[in-house]
Amino acid sequence: MSSAILIVAGICLLVGLAAGFLMHRSDYCMAGMFRDLFLFRSTLMLRTLLLLIITSMVLFEGAHLCGLLPFYPYPLLGSVSGANIIGGFLFGIGMVLAGGCVVGTLYKMGAGSVLSMVAFIGLLVGSGFYAEIHPFWSILAKKTAILKGVITLPQLFSVEPGWIIWPTVLISIFFFLKWLKQGLWLRKAYAEGYLQPWRVAVGLSVVNVVSYIGVGMPMGITTTYAKIAGYFENLLWPEHLASLSYFRAVPLNARLSWLDLQLVGGAAPKIDAVAYIQGPVIIGIVLGSAISAIMLRELQFHWRLPLRQYLSVFIGGIVMALASRMAPACNVWHLMGGLPILALQSIVFLVGLFGGAWVGGCLLTAFVMKA
Amino acid sequence: MKSESMTVVEFDIRGQICPSSLLITLREINVRQKNIRSGAQQIVILTDNRDATITVPDALSNMGYVVSVEKKHNYYVIEVKV
Repeated sequence: MSSAILIVAGICLLVGLAAGFLMHRSDYCMAGMFRDLFLFRSTLMLRTLLLLIITSMVLFEGAHLCGLLPFYPYPLLGSVSGANIIGGFLFGIGMVLAGGCVVGTLYKMGAGSVLSMVAFIGLLVGSGFYAEIHPFWSILAKKTAILKGVITLPQLFSVEPGWIIWPTVLISIFFFLKWLKQGLWLRKAYAEGYLQPWRVAVGLSVVNVVSYIGVGMPMGITTTYAKIAGYFENLLWPEHLASLSYFRAVPLNARLSWLDLQLVGGAAPKIDAVAYIQGPVIIGIVLGSAISAIMLRELQFHWRLPLRQYLSVFIGGIVMALASRMAPACNVWHLMGGLPILALQSIVFLVGLFGGAWVGGCLLTAFVMKA
Repeated sequence: MKSESMTVVEFDIRGQICPSSLLITLREINVRQKNIRSGAQQIVILTDNRDATITVPDALSNMGYVVSVEKKHNYYVIEVKV
């Protein structure tokens, strides 16, 4: 393994460790933010997500202007299509039923949540199942694609990103200051070692810009879930796996010039660029959260739980994995990476996500939390 | 202070999916509000969900209840009373 690969993997591990630690301290659950907007009309956590997006917007654009970003827009983003909104909608349902998004599942696993471990298995099953429907889905995505070759909102209007980004940032700052005056950023916390979510939002945007500068893209993890699913499928049905076009595709092919490294990879169950970028992030998030939980003496395992909840998280994991491949990409990729550069796919994904979280909340209260 | 006749109803929600702690607490408060208001009952929630230690007190204090949160071993004990 070359030193360039080790540097990339090392950066990603540190990014994951920091993200997992921060998320555990604040219980920074994106699934909960969207769900609680509909269940309890709670908006504080969503406001911190907006802060995360806007802070990332400033950091990404600043790094872009300084010539620090290896790619702009970053690889694996494409034209907007119907797949983004349907994927976002299903993802919203899945993350609420699973009790956490693809990253939330990881940091909760790190703190010992047995349900999140089951959701993780659901994520692997769903990722494997997506490979079966990939040929059909990719045709649908292509047929519903619009504005081909246009990836971001500034590209759509043929302007430099700053023409849209800086006014958006200024308007947001106005609201952030207003909320600060109203005391709407702080939560009265009792949990030991609690970090206010606004601090975590800023921290995560710093972590994400480190990832973007260092390895050419913000945090993303779900293609590696498909890789793991493919690994197990290869053990059981190698001929079938070889026949699936999804595992043969190589969507990532870009040159990381500062390390003189060609990043090539896809969902195939082998060690490629996707594996050494996303794998350490996954391990880092679980470990970072576990370290935080152990430091607080809060690492614990409970498995005598209602059957309905086991079923909910497993089905939620499957739906979420399917959706993240259909979208394509998960909420972290779209909300923390795509929205700050105004990627059209991510904007459309967000619209679907709101609808899905509402439906997920209805299903959760009607079937899972039934008295 | 607990009166002689007060009964404590305990719910162990450790390990459960979010937002079980808040939903179960709200449901039980709704069902038992007469007894809680009269001081005949007190609800105690055991949770390992860090977010619940904020959302439960926040929701219930807005409803006029007195809520206390205490860390015990590796989990949190939320007590709801009048």
